[in-house]
Amino acid sequence: MQRPTPAKFELLVRRDDEEGFELRQVASVTGYLSSRPRRIEPDAYEISELRSRVAIAPGFILKNKTTDRFLLLSEPERFLWDQMDGATSLQEIATAYVLKYGEFDFEIIPSLLRKLQRAQLLTFEPRSRLRAVLARNRGRAVVKAIELVLTGLERIRISTHNVQGFFQALYRFGGFLLFTPIAAIACAVLAVAGAAAALVLFRDVHDMLEGFGGHALRGVLMVKLLFFVSVALHQFVHGLACIHYRRRVREFGFTFLHGFVPTFYIDVTDIFMASRRARVVTAVTGALVHLALGAVAFIVAAQAPTGSFTQAFAAASGIIQWQALVVALYPFCFIEMDGYHILVDVLGVPTLKHDAIGYAKSLLTGAGRIIGEGREEPLWIAYVVLSTISVAAFIAFNAWIIFSATH
Amino acid sequence: MQASDETLAFLRDVRVFEAFSDPDLTALTDRLRERDLRRHQILFREGDRGDEMFIVRRGTILISKAVTGKVEQVLVRVEPFDFFGEMSLFDGSPRSATAQAETDVELLVLGRDSLQAMTETAPRAAAAFFYAMVQVFMERLRRSTQQVAEATRWGLEATGLDVEAR
Repeated sequence: MQRPTPAKFELLVRRDDEEGFELRQVASVTGYLSSRPRRIEPDAYEISELRSRVAIAPGFILKNKTTDRFLLLSEPERFLWDQMDGATSLQEIATAYVLKYGEFDFEIIPSLLRKLQRAQLLTFEPRSRLRAVLARNRGRAVVKAIELVLTGLERIRISTHNVQGFFQALYRFGGFLLFTPIAAIACAVLAVAGAAAALVLFRDVHDMLEGFGGHALRGVLMVKLLFFVSVALHQFVHGLACIHYRRRVREFGFTFLHGFVPTFYIDVTDIFMASRRARVVTAVTGALVHLALGAVAFIVAAQAPTGSFTQAFAAASGIIQWQALVVALYPFCFIEMDGYHILVDVLGVPTLKHDAIGYAKSLLTGAGRIIGEGREEPLWIAYVVLSTISVAAFIAFNAWIIFSATH
Repeated sequence: MQASDETLAFLRDVRVFEAFSDPDLTALTDRLRERDLRRHQILFREGDRGDEMFIVRRGTILISKAVTGKVEQVLVRVEPFDFFGEMSLFDGSPRSATAQAETDVELLVLGRDSLQAMTETAPRAAAAFFYAMVQVFMERLRRSTQQVAEATRWGLEATGLDVEAR
């Protein structure tokens, strides 16, 4: 029997000008890929390894303690089961699978979902944890107001899917220059010059930031605005890198992340079909925007009159740009930014953060939850320890800057 | 509106007027008004009051229903020779969906007063009109039922829910 084509909705999405709109065909497969399967609560199931002298690959037995139903899982299925935490979409789970196993079996996820549903081991969780907590406390007026605001902000999403042509044109008309050896050398020279300028400036950080005196609000707004623009540029360069490797840019837009963090975003997931080098270059080049802008800002600050608004603004922008560079590329900070994705790609451990935090929690609570055995445990501990130290150092550094500037 | 040959020829191909005699069609044409919409212009919104139906002469009209926020589901595209807005013509209820021009559009407008006049002066034509209208309603009802089934299929496919095994 011929399989029916996926069901589709045609949706009309209004723009702010009331009459303007965009038509979007939403196939059921899009909803499927965005869904976030969630395994039942940990105390409602048991999982144990099935050791065999014959089989090379290990198997696992999963038991629903409520219904007494058992499932036999293969090692890849066990991997997928571990990803189903209600926060990870099927698309992300499939990506994690490709990164771990280097190939994709198109039937494994749907068939596992069917098995898990039959055994009542799965629920679907469409909302974030924050939204779930808010929903539980909806009785309070403040919480309800926050929910309303978040819902309103989440609806603000300006995006376009027809960006491939735009990025191709941008690449053709000069974007390709960013991926030449000359650009790499220029970036390195700029970084050295910027670092030298920063060292000179930081000898007296207090005098430097004094230029904000009387113009603090204007200064903060301008620094924020420049940073906001740099985030858009960061995403643009990701897109250009994607084009450089002849892959497709699927979407570019603006939204409020988690309902309150305004940000630009770009969908370059097609780069997963390219080489690891392409993935790394795509990740790194976006972050280098902050390196270049930060260096320029420090050079400008070094040339500006001491104690002037221009110097303070440029120096503050330089600090923020380079901090953004570090946050983007440094993988040990509990945030899944570009550097983290490079690290897990190189290590071949796509669920590093998830597993490491789970392991650390089990150690701290004494639950003794052993997720795996052997060489993964030191990696998890190293990730948690390094991330904790790094976040503490980051906070201390910023506290020092504020303290130096105000005393 | 002046009954030009072109308009008469057009109306003969509109389903609800197919059975009209030439004099009835000419009389009807005199009661119709013309209305032009530019691309993306909204004709009426869901919830608006209304007592007119519209026949598309040129262009395409999108009929959509609000789903959430700024998102609406496109229910149907109305193309030349087809009509919409007839529900409010009969019962005067608020518009059940929004109508907006997808392209530049030319419409013919039939108001409730004109329909009333036609019923009194040309009962045979009015009967043919209502009979054709009932047939169209039945077709649209079938299409709505099909849309409900499609929406259910969308939900099942989007969640990967294995209903057969339950």
